[in-house]
Amino acid sequence: MSKSSKIRVVVILAVVIALYVIPQSPLTTDNTMRIGLLIALYCTLGLMWNLMAGYTGMVSLGQQIFIGIAGYNVAVFATTFGLPFWAGMFCGAGISVLLSVALSFLLFRMKGMYFAIATWITSEALKIIFTSWEFVNMGGGMTIKLRPYPDVFELYYISLTLVIGAFLVVFFVLNSRIGLGLKAMRDDDDASAAMGVNIFRAKLLCFMISGFVTGLCGALFYINQGSIFPGPGFGISWTVAAVFIVIIGGIGTITGPIVGAIIYVFLSEFLSQYQGYSMIILGVIAIAVILGLPYGIVGTIERKFGFEVLSTRRTMKNLLSGGRANVDYSRGRDLRVSK
Amino acid sequence: MAALLRFEHVDAGYGNVRILEDLSFEAEYGQILGVIGPNGCGKTTMFNACIGHITPTSGHILFDGKDISKFSPAKRVHMGIGRTYQVPRPFENMSVFENVLVSAVHGAGHTERQGARIAEEALGITGLTEKAELIAGSLTLLDRKRLEIARALGTEPKLLLLDEVAAGLIETEIKDIMKLVADLKSKRGLTIVWIEHVIETMVGATDALMCISEGHELLIGDPRAVMDSREVEEVYLGASDEEVNAA
Repeated sequence: MSKSSKIRVVVILAVVIALYVIPQSPLTTDNTMRIGLLIALYCTLGLMWNLMAGYTGMVSLGQQIFIGIAGYNVAVFATTFGLPFWAGMFCGAGISVLLSVALSFLLFRMKGMYFAIATWITSEALKIIFTSWEFVNMGGGMTIKLRPYPDVFELYYISLTLVIGAFLVVFFVLNSRIGLGLKAMRDDDDASAAMGVNIFRAKLLCFMISGFVTGLCGALFYINQGSIFPGPGFGISWTVAAVFIVIIGGIGTITGPIVGAIIYVFLSEFLSQYQGYSMIILGVIAIAVILGLPYGIVGTIERKFGFEVLSTRRTMKNLLSGGRANVDYSRGRDLRVSK
Repeated sequence: MAALLRFEHVDAGYGNVRILEDLSFEAEYGQILGVIGPNGCGKTTMFNACIGHITPTSGHILFDGKDISKFSPAKRVHMGIGRTYQVPRPFENMSVFENVLVSAVHGAGHTERQGARIAEEALGITGLTEKAELIAGSLTLLDRKRLEIARALGTEPKLLLLDEVAAGLIETEIKDIMKLVADLKSKRGLTIVWIEHVIETMVGATDALMCISEGHELLIGDPRAVMDSREVEEVYLGASDEEVNAA
C-alpha cells in the first residue's frame, strides 16, 4: 500500500471509531442521536440510489417501493404477530429483493425516463394496494408495537452499522469486475454490450442490492417513526430526498451521499418550522447547486484537485505493477451534463 | 467450412422498417472483406445484426459454423466477434485504459490483472500508450477511432468488424490506419469485415469486396473486378456522375 492510501485508511478508521464512541460521551442528547440516526439512514438511501443512477444509469423514481414494503413488514411482524423488529426488518429486505427480481423482467425492458416512470408507477400501484388491503388496516395505517421499544441509541448504532455496510458493499461492487462493467454501461449501454458486458445481470445485481439495503433502511426509518401509512410509506418524497442528497453531494462519487445527507438532514430540521415553504426552499437550493456546481459538492472538489477520496479508477501502472498514477482530469471533458 | 462469418438470407431492420433484405454472404478465415455501398444501404445495420443489437426477422447468421442469430451481444463477443462504431462511442467518463480494460475483462473474460496486459498491448498496437490515463471524452477524432479499434482488440476477437475507421481522417492518418489493419491481418491472423467509403483504400487493402444495395448483396468478388463492374458503377458511382453532369 502506498503512503497516501495508508493515511486514507487511518483517517477513515478514525472517523468510524469516533462515530461509535462519541455517543457514549455525556454531552450527547437524544436529539443529537436522532439527527445522527437520520443522517446515517438518509446517507444509506442516497448511496443506494447513487449505485443505480450514478454508476449504472438506472434512474429510479421508485426507491419508496422498498421503504414501504419493509416498513409494513416491521409493522405486521411486530404488531400483528408480536415478533421482534429485526425479524420484520430482514423479512422486509428479503421481500424487497424478491420483488426487485420479479420487477426486473418488466422494468429492464425500459431505459432512461421510461424506466424512471415505470418504477414510480409500480410504487403508486403498491400504495393503492396497501390503501385497500384490510390485513394492513387499509388507509388507516399501522402502529408499530414493540416491547421493549428500541431506544434512539440502539437505533443509531444499528443505522451506523448499516451505512458502513452499505459503503463497503458499494465500494467492493465498484472495484469488482462487475463494477468496471457498470461504469461502462452508464456511459453507453449498447457499446458496453458490444464489449461483452452482460447488461441484464449487472443491472439485476445492482437492483437487488439496492432493494435489500433500501429495505433495511426503510425498516429502521419506520421503527424510529413508530407508525406507517400507505401514502407517505410509498410516497415519492423518499426518492426526492435521495435525488437531492446525491445531486448535492455529487452523482457518481462514493463519498458524495455523506455530504448530501448531512446537508439534507440539517436543512430539513431547520426548515421544519416553515411548514409549506420547506420543499420550495429545498428545491431552490437544489437548482442553485446544479447551476453552480454541476458535479455536486464532492464531485466539483474532486475534479478541481484531481483527487478522489475513495477511488474506483483503474490505472495501467497500478494493475501492471503497483503504485498509483494520476488521472488527468483537467483535460477531460464531461458529458454527464450535456447527455 | 471455410467461412468464419456467414449470412444466410437475412432480413433485419428497426421496428417496422426493414433495412436488410435477403442478404447473403460469407467472410472466409483470415480474409479482409471490404464492404461498400451507397448511404443508407444497410452496411452498419449488417454490423448491428452481426453483434446482436438487432435480431434478424428471418434468415440465419452463422459464426464459426454456429447459428448465432438469437444470441445476446455479450455472448457473441465472448465467441470472438469484436466491433467498432462508425461514430466512435467511447466510455466518455472512463480513462482510455479503462475503456480497453472493460473489453479485456468482460469481452475476453480475463481478470483485471491479466486484462491490464491485454489492454497494454492493444493500446501499444494502436499507438495510444501515451494517452492511457486520459479521460476518453477528451480524445481527438483520430484517437477516438484508434480507441474503437483498441477496444475491439481487447475482446481478443477472431472476427473484427471495422465500421468506417478511415472516414473523416486526413490522408496521412488514413495511411496509419490502413497499415494498422494490414498488420492485424498478417500478424494476428484476424478475419476482418471492413466498411469504408474511401474507395482507393478498399481496392488495395481488401481480399474480397462486397457491394450492398438496398439491403441486398449486389456483387461479391475480387476488389478490382467489383469496382470496375457496371452494376456497382450504376448504384454507387453513377449517382454522383449524374450529379457532376447536372452541375
